Amino acid sequence: MINVLTDNLDDFASGLWVTTRLVAGSFVVALVLGTLVAALRVSASGALRRVGTVYVEIFRNVPLLVLLFIAFPGVLRGGVDISPWTSGIIALGVYTSAYVAEVLRSGVAAVSTGQLEAGLSLGFTPVSVLRRIVLPQAFRTVIGPLGSITIAMIKNSAIVGASIVALPDILKEARIVNSNTFQTTEAFFWAAACYLLLTVTLTFVFRGLESRYAIRR
Amino acid sequence: MGYLLDPDNWEWVFTGNNARFLLEAFATNVQIAVIAMVLALALGLVLALMAIATLTPVRLAAKVWVDVFRNIPLILLILYLALSLPESVRDFWVDAAPGFLPEALRSQFVLAGIGGLVLYNSAVLAEVFRAGILSLDSGQREAAAALGLTYRQQMRLVVLPQGLRRMVPATVSQLITLNKDTTLVSIIAIQEVVRSGRVLTQTAGNPFTGGGVTAPILQVMIFIGVLFVIVNFALSRLSGRLEVREGRRTAVKKPPVAEPAAA
Repeated sequence: MINVLTDNLDDFASGLWVTTRLVAGSFVVALVLGTLVAALRVSASGALRRVGTVYVEIFRNVPLLVLLFIAFPGVLRGGVDISPWTSGIIALGVYTSAYVAEVLRSGVAAVSTGQLEAGLSLGFTPVSVLRRIVLPQAFRTVIGPLGSITIAMIKNSAIVGASIVALPDILKEARIVNSNTFQTTEAFFWAAACYLLLTVTLTFVFRGLESRYAIRR
Repeated sequence: MGYLLDPDNWEWVFTGNNARFLLEAFATNVQIAVIAMVLALALGLVLALMAIATLTPVRLAAKVWVDVFRNIPLILLILYLALSLPESVRDFWVDAAPGFLPEALRSQFVLAGIGGLVLYNSAVLAEVFRAGILSLDSGQREAAAALGLTYRQQMRLVVLPQGLRRMVPATVSQLITLNKDTTLVSIIAIQEVVRSGRVLTQTAGNPFTGGGVTAPILQVMIFIGVLFVIVNFALSRLSGRLEVREGRRTAVKKPPVAEPAAA
């Protein structure tokens, strides 16, 4: 069992590193886009709110695999020279951003309107009320849910490696090890262990963040 | 933008049997989703009941099952099952699959695809159900016990109807996820909508798929994406309606805020 891991340590290690970078990149994309869309969803203008709703409904309901086909071969055929890395990160990030936006919106709803009114009456503009008063608190209330979204994203990142984008992530490397050694159960077992390593680590990170920053309501 | 909206690139939709070809393949996805849903809901309920059982080994077994299958990427599970399913089992399915199933569902890897979907979703749904049951005030069950109901009656008549009803939104959002995840079986060569979409892009001018018109992959995939948005959006609307109706009928306190089941 263990020798499949030790003999192919390089493959598993490089897969782990690829998955880590993919998840980190997508996390940034998801957080930035998710925050923007959440801001749209709570804006005073009905039109902007609708734009946010449409965004969330589209990207929450489309399979990630379809997004990957759009973002890589689709965009390539459209004449834009995009690398597998860029498309993988964008597709996974955009897909996750819809979930981030939803969670953030619930966090914003949890901040009492009195704070918003106080901010406005002190002369803050609506955008700076959001940026300086509401969002910082919203983020702190949704650390837990953000953690579960991130963990789901780690699991979803395996789809990027298995799809046409074919980044050499953990799953891809495990399939290579499998075709070299024919030790299917062992190869996939260690791949699952690699994913577990990532998810457990992140669980602890988010638990730490939560105990430090979370606002209990 | 010009490329995206160019009518020439959308002509394939109206040519030959292309659109019908994709819709039929999409029906396969829906069938896979329904089969997997029914099995995962049933298994998830059993696991949730096991997880609150008084017998420690039973509880432990449910916990291990849930923790293992919830934490493995679904695609890894599906690929592993497809690669490790013995040939005898695959042949068995090809021979024994009931004839009313569409051809795509009688192919050799179907058990791996549906098996993976059921294993993963049963674990997730078990957690959802368990949370629903535990969110119920313990007084409910104590009152039922005080009235002389047996354990099974307490569960069937008092605890489950209330506990599960609270979890309708979370359950539906997991079912939407399941619906999206049916596309993953394309990776193990089951002929569902994404795979059929790729066939379309590769067989321009094939008399079977009709046409002589190229079907560019970007537009084909957007078409498929729209199909999913329509079905899943309808599902989430339905759950919203159910929630409002239940709220009126039972006038219970607002359900616990369920974390949106992220993908």
